[in-house]
Amino acid sequence: MNTATDPARSGSDATVRTEVFWGVDCGSAEIKVAAIDREGRLLTTRRCRTLFPLVEHVHRSLAGHGDELSAILDSDRAELPPDGRQPSLRPGHKVFATGYGRHHLGFVQGQLTEIKSHYLGVQHQLRLQQDYTIIDIGGQDAKVIRATPGRVEKFAINRKCAAGTGSFIEELAHRLEVPMHELPRLAAGHDKDLTLNSYCTVFSGQEVIKLLMQGERVENLIHAMYRSVVKRVLEMTAIDTDTLVFSGGVMNHHPILMPLFAERFGTVRTILAPNAQFCGALGAAIHGLNEESDDGLPNHQ
Amino acid sequence: MNPSTVDVGTAAVAAADAKQVMRDYFADLGAAAKDPARKVAWCTSVGPAEILRAMGFEVYFPENHGALLGATRVSAETIPVANAQGYSPEICSYLTSDIGACLKGVTPLSKAYGLDGVPRPDVLVYCTNQCKDVMHWFAWYARRWNVPLLGIHPPNHLPEVLPEHIADVASQFRRLIAQLEAITGTPLDPEALRLAVARSREATDLWESVLDTARTRPAPLSFFDGTILMGPIVVLRGTQIATDYYRTLLAELEAKVAAGHAAVPGERLRIYWEGMPVWGRLRQLSDLFAGNRATVVASTYCNSWIFSDFDPAQPLESMARAYLKIFINRDDAYKENYIERLAGEFGIDGVVYHAARTCPNNSNSAYNLPQRLAAKGIPGIVIDGDLCDLRCFSDGQSTTLIEAFLETL
Repeated sequence: MNTATDPARSGSDATVRTEVFWGVDCGSAEIKVAAIDREGRLLTTRRCRTLFPLVEHVHRSLAGHGDELSAILDSDRAELPPDGRQPSLRPGHKVFATGYGRHHLGFVQGQLTEIKSHYLGVQHQLRLQQDYTIIDIGGQDAKVIRATPGRVEKFAINRKCAAGTGSFIEELAHRLEVPMHELPRLAAGHDKDLTLNSYCTVFSGQEVIKLLMQGERVENLIHAMYRSVVKRVLEMTAIDTDTLVFSGGVMNHHPILMPLFAERFGTVRTILAPNAQFCGALGAAIHGLNEESDDGLPNHQ
Repeated sequence: MNPSTVDVGTAAVAAADAKQVMRDYFADLGAAAKDPARKVAWCTSVGPAEILRAMGFEVYFPENHGALLGATRVSAETIPVANAQGYSPEICSYLTSDIGACLKGVTPLSKAYGLDGVPRPDVLVYCTNQCKDVMHWFAWYARRWNVPLLGIHPPNHLPEVLPEHIADVASQFRRLIAQLEAITGTPLDPEALRLAVARSREATDLWESVLDTARTRPAPLSFFDGTILMGPIVVLRGTQIATDYYRTLLAELEAKVAAGHAAVPGERLRIYWEGMPVWGRLRQLSDLFAGNRATVVASTYCNSWIFSDFDPAQPLESMARAYLKIFINRDDAYKENYIERLAGEFGIDGVVYHAARTCPNNSNSAYNLPQRLAAKGIPGIVIDGDLCDLRCFSDGQSTTLIEAFLETL
């Protein structure tokens, strides 16, 4: 990991007041960035596919195009400087990282896990005053976060395999030769509740093939896939809540999952977090803002 | 079991030279294996080493070899060899690492200690107080090399260790002694057994004191140091060498405590490690905790070689009691109370449970224990992994789980 040492490049000049806090969420499928001002107001969000070298693509996301808000010095917006390949931040801008790639960005001013960042992103936007549970489904993991208005109480992440995550949906869409964006519409046309049993994405794919061979309708298989995602998430931990908040890219693109979760709970309030796909990035930015607050408390929620 | 050639990098304890003790141990084992006048016994790590020592055997512990294979990551090449021979990826990866290494003709002992290979045994002695995999493991060698295979089969998973359990195991020890006497041609000297038990007791008491220094804030040593420093208590129980080593080590640690030395500078959190080490990731995990200013101050694993019941006045009965009472051989209520007690004594903020894929016997997160302890105010997180088989371990996911857990504490 390269570490920036030049304050001008790192944006960590103590004499310059930080005006813009950036969060970068390096997920398995996409890099998401969000920027906020000192009042915690969302200034911009951007996303791009997770490609490598990671730092180059994060740099592009932070730089933006044309008139877009940029975290990068004008002189370096077009490409990374050759000396150490670390982005050069504008004075007054700071960047905080979360997601699986968070440890591979040497120039950032801080890091935090996806658990905390998603919580901060959700709570900052919703300002909930009671205990609640966040279900976040990302590209390669699913998280259940038990939260209070002030902190993460406990959490669970899917274990070992991809079942119940975006990768699972992607793999089955590929098997079924259905574009991802068509999945929710097709699932709505189901006429039968089927069950996919396997924990394993590959074996689930085999189940799907077998059912297709038996003449099963694609709509029913897609619906079964969504139900499988719900089952995989709910078996991660016991959830006792009256408020479910959904975040993450998968929920954003597959809102059909929300009622499927809700029907497993009886009476429950469900909320799709605003900017659901950016909650992690936003939370990382909020974390940066909190780090600078006088009292050190998460008082921007 | 310690792979003493692995440096986890915390350097909390340096002067007491575990490496030299282990070098001498293996050099002597290598010499004994080549000397027709000396006999080598293989023994499971919590097996009756004192009897073997008292009868003049040099004792080799294959689990130590398994740990070394894991720590050097040679396991990645040897486990698949055993898998292909019908030893499942789901069973003990010490077993598959070791049998695969034998089939492949490799051992880290060559590079680390200059041995030609593992020391060939004259007898194989196992005890199923930990698991039944050791029986299958030693049986493979018995078939391969036509070596006598002797086993102790204690009652398992005990809520309490009762007199009839002790009588049972002591009786099995007596039968074992008779079988060993047939191999050596010499009767056991009761005085030699008492001496071996006395030495084991002294060494194990010192080892306990060493671990207890981590009760201090900040702790002068961590679990990751412990996995290296525990070498002599595993492989040299029953000898004066182990006692001398731990006396020196304890003095060093007490001096560190007096000086306020911290294994993890700026110690902020104190963690309990439940389950096996992930041998191939010791350094990374040590760095991960240290980077979050968390010290793993106590563990079930390092504590497993504390045998406070050894009593030279009743050598066989006390050995039976000690080897029956080990954590892994107890019921879940005992384990819950044990961890709860240590959490209080060591000021634990949280527990990391390692669910080792191939070691269900030494993984304690599958029967609701983390939830029960959490309800008592001892939070925990479960990470999936393995002792040797890194196919079962995800670096990214484990890092996120541990860091997120530390964030919540």
